[in-house]
Amino acid sequence: MTASLTAGLDRIQDQIGYLVISEEGVLASAGELENDEVTAGVMMQMVRTASRFRLSGAAEPPFKRMSVILEDFVYTVTVSGQKVFVVKRQNNQQEPISV
Amino acid sequence: MGCCYSSENETQEQRNERKPLIPHPDPVSKPPNGTDWITTVPSARTDEQALLTSILTKTAQNIIDVSAADSVMMEQHEYMDKARQYSTKLAVLSNSLPQRKALALPSLTSQPHQVLASDLVPYSDVQQISKIAAYAYSAISQIKVDAKEELVVQFAIP
Repeated sequence: MTASLTAGLDRIQDQIGYLVISEEGVLASAGELENDEVTAGVMMQMVRTASRFRLSGAAEPPFKRMSVILEDFVYTVTVSGQKVFVVKRQNNQQEPISV
Repeated sequence: MGCCYSSENETQEQRNERKPLIPHPDPVSKPPNGTDWITTVPSARTDEQALLTSILTKTAQNIIDVSAADSVMMEQHEYMDKARQYSTKLAVLSNSLPQRKALALPSLTSQPHQVLASDLVPYSDVQQISKIAAYAYSAISQIKVDAKEELVVQFAIP
């Protein structure tokens, strides 16, 4: 079961680690996110918070993927079949984000 | 302490929101000074009187009588009693509420691998969102209350 969950994740370009999380805890992890319970907890909370957001009248959250963008890498997060998938990818876009 | 009179155009829902959880122990007691005149208005009143009464009622509703606050002081044990009464009442009411479903995770996609593998958000989009967020933050931080009237006014009663 774990193999089928993660087979596609290994092949994602620029990925440097991933997590598959369920309500009970981490189901699978690899690379820089191997056994990273702390990141798993934070990502779970963030996606829960984000998925409470609704556009007026819509029943489902208005997004498919949450991106947490940092200078050197990006966490891409989605939810499917009661499981949260987190993939840490290199951020090759060099320009700094200035606010 | 709230006002005892509700306006006619108020919906049932609004009325329920303001209805005390525990009814006043002595409902016939005199409301804080100045408002008891409403009950003495005769039933056979003229249109003009009705209009005046409705104006007075509306005014009375919009007023929080700070001068009457002293007269409704409660003893420590009364506060404790009320607190206990309220918490008992709340416990009873919350039991009758439908149990809130545990927050299930929504399904954002049926193809997680594809969604995760697709291109990252372009830098220009991130920059634009950052700029909009900064503008919104700046706008929100500039919201302030512009007090134009006195909060407490004296009613000149001849």
